[in-house]
Amino acid sequence: MKEEFTLEIEADNNFSVLNRIINILNRRRVRIRRMMAHEDDQDFRRGAVVMLLFTTPEMMDRVTDQLEKLIEVDLVRFQPGSSRYFEVSERVSDID
Amino acid sequence: MLLIRFGFFSEKTGIPVAATLLGLGCFPTDHPNYVGYLGMHGNYGPNVLTNQCDVLIAVGMRFDDRVTGNVTKYAKQARIIHIDIDKAEINKIIKVETFIHADAKEALDALTQLCPVNRFPDWINEFSRLNELEFEKVIRKEFHSGGELRMAEVINRLSQKTDGRAIVVTDVGQHQMVTSRYLKLRDPRTHITSGGAGTMGFALPAAMGACYGVPGKQVLAVIGDGGFQMTVQELGTIMQYKIPVKILVLNNQFLGMVRQWQQLFHGKRYSFTEMDNPDFIKLNEAYGITARRVTKREDLDSALTEFLDSKTSMFLEVLVGREDNVFPMVPAGAGVGDVLLEAPSN
Repeated sequence: MKEEFTLEIEADNNFSVLNRIINILNRRRVRIRRMMAHEDDQDFRRGAVVMLLFTTPEMMDRVTDQLEKLIEVDLVRFQPGSSRYFEVSERVSDID
Repeated sequence: MLLIRFGFFSEKTGIPVAATLLGLGCFPTDHPNYVGYLGMHGNYGPNVLTNQCDVLIAVGMRFDDRVTGNVTKYAKQARIIHIDIDKAEINKIIKVETFIHADAKEALDALTQLCPVNRFPDWINEFSRLNELEFEKVIRKEFHSGGELRMAEVINRLSQKTDGRAIVVTDVGQHQMVTSRYLKLRDPRTHITSGGAGTMGFALPAAMGACYGVPGKQVLAVIGDGGFQMTVQELGTIMQYKIPVKILVLNNQFLGMVRQWQQLFHGKRYSFTEMDNPDFIKLNEAYGITARRVTKREDLDSALTEFLDSKTSMFLEVLVGREDNVFPMVPAGAGVGDVLLEAPSN
């Protein structure tokens, strides 16, 4: 059964890293409902992305495993629902 | 040593072993428990019996689509145990009953201690029976065809001469599948290929790397005429650094695997697969590399002997049948049990 998940990723802010992350989702046809990416305030070489996805819990486990294999990616975590997405995105918007 | 662990495990349990493309060499191809090569152009027995076994132990494999065919028809009856060092492989393609997240050597050691001594002669005979069917329908024709030279007989002759003691690097295409099918292997990492990446042009630079990685070992690059031209500029590096890599080009003047699909599944409407090649002999000679061309069966043996005995880099071009196909074949979208031994009549 598909539902909403908030996916958070912390990674090196390398060229095309976002493309590699999205490729993993696209290849598995995971729907991205919302997405926000930003560089770290303290260190421009670091960045993070938060996404609101619509897929199954099994697929979330699979994509998390695949995302963790990307060399630039340091942390991947997800939780069900959209509340975490809006919490993080509002915080980042306030900083901007 | 993975090879030894595999040997202990298979010999104690009596469980037959089949290899995927990148697993070739992890188990000796002349071992009585070795039943063949799995995949789209793999051996008939292991492909068909994947859908009849009761337990399938997958060691370090990733259930690639070339091995599983249509996943909805793959080993439905089997209880699958998956050993892999990569956690991301857990239930990625195939839902397994048990996953062992471990180094294959350690997992096989532990399993070998736990499993009782057993023998399954009837089960292994079933593989032999199906592989004999493949021999009658496919291999016999490949080796004793008369007429044009076939890739399979070239690789078979090469394999007899190297006796599993050389490192063989293949490119991508028909020659790759034929080499995987007919090459005799004794040791892990003596068969090098790009696997799922499927990168034409891989073989020549990879073979050069293997020459440096294992100095003193015979390294052979087996390449098709299409793939050879994708990294042909590396002949300059071979010349400059005197790298003793041997280059065997099986030339059918086609991008053979694409042509095979166009023939079998697209009504023989060939599109951009025919190759007008340069004179490979002159090209190699321009780089100072000794080069020979074989066009007749009676010249093959002596040319291979000269090729393998050469102390320096050498190029050997063998002109093979232009429109030969590689069989068996699991058509795209079919299950592994639907493997074809010959072209469909329609």
